[in-house]
Amino acid sequence: MPLDTSTYSLALLRLDGRRWNELRRLNAQISTQAAADGSSYLEMGNTKVICTVTGPAELKSTGGARAGGDKADVRVEISIAGFSGVDRKKRGRNDKRVSEMQTTISNAFAQSLFTNLYPHSSISLSLHILSQDGSLLAACLNACTLALIDAGVPMRDYICACTAGSTSSYSSNDEQADPLLDLNGIEEQELPFLTVGTLGNSDKVSVLVMETRVQVGRLEGMLAVGVDGCKQVREILDQVVRKRGVKILEGSQL
Amino acid sequence: MTSLKRSLGSDPLSSSISSKVFVRSTKSGKVQKIVRELYLRQDIPCSSKLCTACLATAPRDAAGVLAPFVLSAKPAGTKAYPNGHYLLPDTNALLNALDLFESTSAFYDVIILQTVLEELRNRSLPLYNRLIGLTKSAEKRFYVFFNEFRLETYVHREQGETINDRNDRAVRRAGKWYDEHLSQAVKAAGGNKKSVPTVVMLSDDKENLKKAKRDGVAACGLKDYVSMLENAEQLLDMIAVVKEGREIRDARAQESLYAEYYSVSKMMTGVKNGTLHQGIFNVSPYNYLEGSINVPAFDKNLLVLGRESINRAVQGDVVVVEVLPKDQWKEPSTKIIEEEALNKNENADAEDGEAVVTERERKALQEEVKKVHSKSSEGRPQPTARVVGVVKRNWRQYVGHVDESSVSQSVKESRKQQTVFLIPMDKRIPKIRVRTRQAGEIIGKRVLVTIDSWDRDSRYPIGHFVRSLGELETKGAETEALLLEYDVQYRPFPKAVLDCLPTEGHDWKVPVSTDDPGWKDRRDLRGLQICSIDPIGCQDIDDALHARPLPNGNFEVGVHIADVSHFVKPNNAMDAEASIRGTTVYLVDKRIDMLPMLLGTDLCSLKPYVERYAFSAIWEITPDAEIVKSDFTKSVIKSREAFSYEQAQIRVDDASQQDELTTAMRTLLILSKKFKQKRMDAGALSLSSPEVRVETESETSDPIDIKTKKHLDTMSLVEEFMLLANTSVAAKIYSAFPQTAMLRRHGAPPKTNFEELANQLKVKKGLELRTSSSKELADSLDACVDPQEPFFNTLVRIMATRCMMSAEYFCSGTQAYPEFRHYGLASEIYTHFTSPIRRYADLVAHRQLAAAIDYEPLDASVRSKGKLESVCKNINVRHRNAQQAGRASIEYYVGQALKGRIVEEEGFVMKVFSNGFVVFVPRFGIESLIRLRDLAETEPESTFDAEDYVLRTSGSREVEVELFEKVVVRISDIKEEGTGKRKVRLELVKTGGK
Ligand SMILES: [Zn+2]
Repeated sequence: MPLDTSTYSLALLRLDGRRWNELRRLNAQISTQAAADGSSYLEMGNTKVICTVTGPAELKSTGGARAGGDKADVRVEISIAGFSGVDRKKRGRNDKRVSEMQTTISNAFAQSLFTNLYPHSSISLSLHILSQDGSLLAACLNACTLALIDAGVPMRDYICACTAGSTSSYSSNDEQADPLLDLNGIEEQELPFLTVGTLGNSDKVSVLVMETRVQVGRLEGMLAVGVDGCKQVREILDQVVRKRGVKILEGSQL
Repeated sequence: MTSLKRSLGSDPLSSSISSKVFVRSTKSGKVQKIVRELYLRQDIPCSSKLCTACLATAPRDAAGVLAPFVLSAKPAGTKAYPNGHYLLPDTNALLNALDLFESTSAFYDVIILQTVLEELRNRSLPLYNRLIGLTKSAEKRFYVFFNEFRLETYVHREQGETINDRNDRAVRRAGKWYDEHLSQAVKAAGGNKKSVPTVVMLSDDKENLKKAKRDGVAACGLKDYVSMLENAEQLLDMIAVVKEGREIRDARAQESLYAEYYSVSKMMTGVKNGTLHQGIFNVSPYNYLEGSINVPAFDKNLLVLGRESINRAVQGDVVVVEVLPKDQWKEPSTKIIEEEALNKNENADAEDGEAVVTERERKALQEEVKKVHSKSSEGRPQPTARVVGVVKRNWRQYVGHVDESSVSQSVKESRKQQTVFLIPMDKRIPKIRVRTRQAGEIIGKRVLVTIDSWDRDSRYPIGHFVRSLGELETKGAETEALLLEYDVQYRPFPKAVLDCLPTEGHDWKVPVSTDDPGWKDRRDLRGLQICSIDPIGCQDIDDALHARPLPNGNFEVGVHIADVSHFVKPNNAMDAEASIRGTTVYLVDKRIDMLPMLLGTDLCSLKPYVERYAFSAIWEITPDAEIVKSDFTKSVIKSREAFSYEQAQIRVDDASQQDELTTAMRTLLILSKKFKQKRMDAGALSLSSPEVRVETESETSDPIDIKTKKHLDTMSLVEEFMLLANTSVAAKIYSAFPQTAMLRRHGAPPKTNFEELANQLKVKKGLELRTSSSKELADSLDACVDPQEPFFNTLVRIMATRCMMSAEYFCSGTQAYPEFRHYGLASEIYTHFTSPIRRYADLVAHRQLAAAIDYEPLDASVRSKGKLESVCKNINVRHRNAQQAGRASIEYYVGQALKGRIVEEEGFVMKVFSNGFVVFVPRFGIESLIRLRDLAETEPESTFDAEDYVLRTSGSREVEVELFEKVVVRISDIKEEGTGKRKVRLELVKTGGK
């Protein structure tokens, strides 16, 4: 197995044997926890996430004064299991990266859900990361979409997300670099990448996060590949939802 | 109830997904478990031009470009494989004989498996890089097949199977698949069975070959395969002997000569807790049995004495040593010990009863020890150490010649394989034992060899012969030898580089219209009276100058530097090549350019009478040489004249010359003297190195005469303004890019470096050398004069120079500001800006300066600290190598110029040993050893007074030689048996007064 990403140009193969425009195996299930209002389990390669939804529920007034506004509050809580990464590491409650992800997810769904239908209430999303191998934020977004559908929260459309990167690092300044779809953990450590989420089948970008440096010339290609990847993800999620729908209609299980 | 299902089983594609779990331990000792996915696929092409099926599914990159297929449709055949064949080497085959695969006479159409590539990378990075180079060359047709990702060729490691066995099985499986796949491909195309090439697995592993036979995979031992080829004998020599040698030895079960190395973990822990030390191993140029290592824990170098302690370390290796107990500490040797003299006529084939230390060596060392013990406590013993392990071998290819005496006469003519000794040109490298069938042919030739291994049971390292460079002492062979030895890139520029040149070629001109984009932000300085001053015959003119009085009584002075960064854009092929070459190398008869000729000697060169792009630094300077303001700009200039130093000097001295150029040069000269005085007052050192110039006949470049370089005022004129430009630019780019400016520093030498010289001066001349600051040192060097001997001061300066650190390029973010200091120039900050045609560092400085003045944005590559650091590391090495190559070239030509002549000259004693002394002859800039045994037919008796640096001989010849003494020597030339170099030989005629 190649030790780093430098061999890509030899055969146009990535570290795990994929081509530049291929997603990893994406697997999802819906309604995995019967006790929750909505739940899902999602795997993007070796990144594994469980999501449960509680709500929409009435906000308990904590301060006594007006709680909440005329829209529902979307609250996100992420907990990362100690065994999920290579190194066993305990993240503190106020980990900056985690709270940033929480905010990103919460903002995205505050836009796509019809929150105005539920004034003075809250929708809580709880995410458990079981295993990390890149594209963590994207996996969380996708899992949330599924869980929210399961919970029956009305939404404009799915938010589907994936990552896109570039085959060579910033400093190597390679003009021939190919864009990459859906990076795994090792690729994320070595290569520039962004996370993009789109709304439904449109090209409307609802989430875009990028924390690495890349030449601006490569950005357009990366974004195009990412948006295209989101559509593929939507296809897969949609199938999961429909399969679930068929099952319910058959009444074989509920 | 719903439950989480195992998703893998339900996936229809699950057969093509595998996962790999492995455990690794990190540097810090942690154990990590890594899980990786592996996607197996069926669209990885075989890359044979015979196959159309693969072509249909072959991968395309994001731009839709298809990689062309590599393996030829009609590969070459041999007797055993008449249908033609593709080669499939395993890892050992590549490890043992990569040189073979690089040869141009055979080894085409080779399939490199991913398994093999990765294994090779883990075993040897240099070999891996060479192999990657091969896969990129179109004519050799090497194809990397990613077998680990192809469904049919992926091999799962079985329970209890070793990783090596698993990899061998993967290679056989790939061979099998290729075989079947190719027959199918040919069948599909309607060809007959005869045209299916055989896929031949190459291996040195008997077990693997046996299994291949069992599995029905065509396989062949590397040696057997090579013997089938036409020029088998030449090629056979290139196979490393490691394997075979080991088998023989195993059978004999010989005892080991050297101590075993510690395990890696033992070394790592030892270094960490301070019981062991790590450093680079250096061998003394005078004594091949004495090495030294500089480690942070000791301020003096650790000495490693004797073959047993050196324990197979070779010059340049990174080793781990253990310090010996204090009672074994010694002084550095005062005796010259040369390998050729001691171990002459050894039989290379003899293995029996070989001892690590020969009897003669033991004797030589014992005498040393005795002397140390008899010495009074005033001696300054140095800590000694022994090598317990090698962290990293720094072996390269070595140039040398075959020790004729090691070739047995009877087989000289025959083709029988025999073992010979190869003596490297670099005296610090031990003899290399090489097995060859061409012993007869390579006698008297310069040859290139590599070291393959050095086992505990072999006294000398074992290597193999790579190629012959030509007859000894022919200009071609010696020049190539020199370039190889100093790792100078001398091959012609590849096409990709030449493609980066302006298409107009020599017709390129500065655009006439000032609206042209080339003129953007360029100042028009064509009206200025600019001229250049360089050595005679200089073609790559980097710099030009101008000066003119200003109405307020001050002067405007400009230094104009060739605008190379306009032509060499970052990250293209030309830039990459230049950054690898790092510098232009000047030999006596040859110049190896950093940039293609078109740029170096024409388009960039600030030639007279034509318009050129330049990068100008312009100052306003008061008559007292104070800088009022400075300004940097890209410009267009037109040099009025290109002077040589001599011409310029004549013109300046001739009072009748009153033209603008000459008066400007006079102004510059006056200012330069003031600048110099200021520098000297600040403590700049004026050091000295022996410099001579070889005059050659223009046609044949045969040396005619040797001249010592004369110093002219105009030389320091140019030097001062270049220093000024460099320091100004350094300050400017540092203020713009505090983290990533390309700078040059010269560290203050540690006090211990001067101890020896200071003591010598004190004892012999009663002079004091103060070294606490560069100013002190400069002043005390000025005081080192001998009224009777004007050269004495220069001699001391030469010796002091050798105690200095070497200057180095660095990236500003890697050092604290006080460390930026240039000790020799007594400047706070310094860089190289003024020679971008011949130094890569200057080119980087140009790019940074251009960005600092907002001329153009800074490219990412010169903005990244990591990248700059690696650039610095490379150019520091290249710079040093270029200097050494230049010196070696002069040395060679001095030898040639003196060939057949006998001259008597004055010389000075620079160093005294107990059995010889070193004499320096200023007239020719040569320095050579005179051994006791050179003094008379029978070696005279001697007593050596180490405290007084006096060597007295008695018996067959009575002389008394002391340090710094003036002597007369007879100079003749001799072919040095040890290195095969023609060298000057000095004989003592008489000593100073007597
Ligand atoms: Zn094929």
